[in-house]
Amino acid sequence: MDKEIRKVVIVGGGSAGWLTCAVLAAEHCANSENGLQITLIESPDVKTIGVGEGTWPTMRGTLRKAGIRETDFFRECDASFKQGAKFAQWVTGAKDDAYYHPLVLPQGYSDINLVPFWTEHADKVSFADAVCFQSHLCEQGLAPKQNTTPEYAHVANYAYHLDAGKFSTFLQKHCTEKLGAVHILDHVEGVNSHDNGDIASLQTRQHGALQGDLFIDCTGFNALLLGKHFGIPFKSCKEVLFNDTALAVQVPYPDEQSAIASHTISTAQSAGWIWDIGLPTRRGVGHVYSSAHQSQDGAEQELRNYLSASIGKKANDLTLRKIDIQPGHREVFWHKNCVAVGLSAGFLEPLEASALVLVELSAAMISEQMPATRTVMDIVARRFNDKFRYRWDRIIDFLKLHYVLTKRTDSDYWLDNCRAETIPQELQSLLQLWRYQSPWHQDFTQIDEVFPSASYQYVLYGMGFHTQPGATQRRSANERLAQQHFAKNQEMTRKLLSGLPTNRELINKIINYGLQTI
Amino acid sequence: MANHQLLDNITHKDIKVITAQHPQYGDNHSYARIVPSELKAAQADYPLFFRKNNETGQFEIIAMFGMAEQENLFLDDNGWHAHYLPLSVQRRPFLIGFQSSNDPATPEDKAVVHIDMDSPRISQTEGEPLFLEQGGQSPYLQHISAVLNALQQGWMHTQAFVETLQSLELMESVNLKAKLDNGENVELAGLYTIHEDKLRELSGEQVASLHKNGMLELIYMMDASLQNIARLIALKNKRLAAK
Repeated sequence: MDKEIRKVVIVGGGSAGWLTCAVLAAEHCANSENGLQITLIESPDVKTIGVGEGTWPTMRGTLRKAGIRETDFFRECDASFKQGAKFAQWVTGAKDDAYYHPLVLPQGYSDINLVPFWTEHADKVSFADAVCFQSHLCEQGLAPKQNTTPEYAHVANYAYHLDAGKFSTFLQKHCTEKLGAVHILDHVEGVNSHDNGDIASLQTRQHGALQGDLFIDCTGFNALLLGKHFGIPFKSCKEVLFNDTALAVQVPYPDEQSAIASHTISTAQSAGWIWDIGLPTRRGVGHVYSSAHQSQDGAEQELRNYLSASIGKKANDLTLRKIDIQPGHREVFWHKNCVAVGLSAGFLEPLEASALVLVELSAAMISEQMPATRTVMDIVARRFNDKFRYRWDRIIDFLKLHYVLTKRTDSDYWLDNCRAETIPQELQSLLQLWRYQSPWHQDFTQIDEVFPSASYQYVLYGMGFHTQPGATQRRSANERLAQQHFAKNQEMTRKLLSGLPTNRELINKIINYGLQTI
Repeated sequence: MANHQLLDNITHKDIKVITAQHPQYGDNHSYARIVPSELKAAQADYPLFFRKNNETGQFEIIAMFGMAEQENLFLDDNGWHAHYLPLSVQRRPFLIGFQSSNDPATPEDKAVVHIDMDSPRISQTEGEPLFLEQGGQSPYLQHISAVLNALQQGWMHTQAFVETLQSLELMESVNLKAKLDNGENVELAGLYTIHEDKLRELSGEQVASLHKNGMLELIYMMDASLQNIARLIALKNKRLAAK
């Protein structure tokens, strides 16, 4: 049964479904006769979840490759610039306790590890401020580029905040009008199988049996194909990451020209944390917490208290939406001729915006490794599963890192987070190692690692972790070079602070005039 | 700095405008915006480039006069030494303003002439009069109206030209680097020109279409103007040597 792979069926019309569709349809010429046929079927009833309002810088490449104009994306998705995250009250819980995880790598990252040199001045300047100009830009609410910078190009590396609902609609239009994908609105009522257990077709209410060679399950928490049909078990990671409930709210600005934060603000609470994402027309805010440590009423109160700091009494009038979440992922993601992308593959709290980037990474690998025939599909599936198990593990480790370095003892939640039995073995080993050496290139082994060692540096030293100076000398530890990089960072900071517009100013200009492609 | 007033034949009855070009009149700009209808004349004197407007980020066409801020190598105390003076230089100290229309039949904003009363060109004694004895427009003011009109049409024409070029990927960014006789290196960024390789790869059909809408000529004028870069550098070296 060495059948050629000609037709892909994507089930689910949320951001995972349409983003996967855009990546595959653009690369595999779905709009030409010799290209791959791509159909997306979406139930007219099922509401999309609409989480994942933060992306990674990878989204720029993903959109560009799909043939999307960045100007259109800004205009139609209520998008804004994101230059990383600010973590407030994660270490001591004090009012002024905050650190940055920017998207720009530390100065000279390919040449020199600045950690040992910064350590000597750790009491005077934060790690991020010393090695990177981006935290300074965020503090001033500046954009990461100018309106003369071409589309997708940057002055400071950036990602996006976006309205996930509008994003799906935007991608749908692009996929169906430009990229040649077929869109079907119908219910999937059953699955018809081949003798070998593969999915032969999906039984729909109005369109009969929808056949395909590869089926992509983007049905959200339902996991209609991989979970319900194939019964692939779900692997919970709640014993590591406790948060299982979110209360989300849309917050209006005081006026149309209010400043838009150019970073995600994550503020720790007694049993969870609050995300705060600035879009041009509103803020998206939510409290994600552990229901084992906090009641819904208590969580709601903390959220409203947080909001009242910026919008006063209006905080009590806003309607909250409760979302139950199960932290974890499927044991395998690609089974037979079916692969899950998005929430159907798994979900983790949005602490480092890992949801959409996992969709991008999955779609990119499916696209690049699109099996030519059914026989080789099993090889691709095995490699896909290995790679993504590794990725989920690394993301879980990295998220947990934000918790284990806390010095907070004000609730069981923080105490429990630091108990050794809740910390994955690999992370424990690394933490032990990093007492004597700082994270560096060889700590992570894959070429396309989800989080580079720089990210670990930002979190570790942002949270006050101490790495002992080496007992013996190293030739590469060049004091003069280090001082040059610190000076260069100061110079770039000065230059960019005076040369960049505010996030709001630039977004207004993009909406009014647009960016150029060159 | 600027004092823009709507021009009328009562308030500005006795005003004269000095039309000579001289550094003291604020003519020492290193470039000026030009419009497509000027390309043929301008390319004989100046290097022409596309450049993004700082305010809008949109492309405009410029004629380059110098390689540093406030440097106009065509200008000295004896005047402006070139055959062609761009419209946006000629128009000074006038500019186009818009007045909202009160007439529901033509609701579009009306283009009107404004004058910058703080310009050093404004005089009571020397220069060209704006109005005739009876209040009618002087030949000079009629010329200025025509210039402003051509510029207004020209900005729209520029947009169409740039959009067409971009749809064919016919623009590319260039960094201008030159070593001067005194050893100094000059580098100018943020400039764009015609992508010559892409131009050569156009299909016959595409070329025919560009020819039909008059843009093929504009493209070659832009491209030919780059010969004037050498001239600009020579002027710069001459000025350095004279110092």
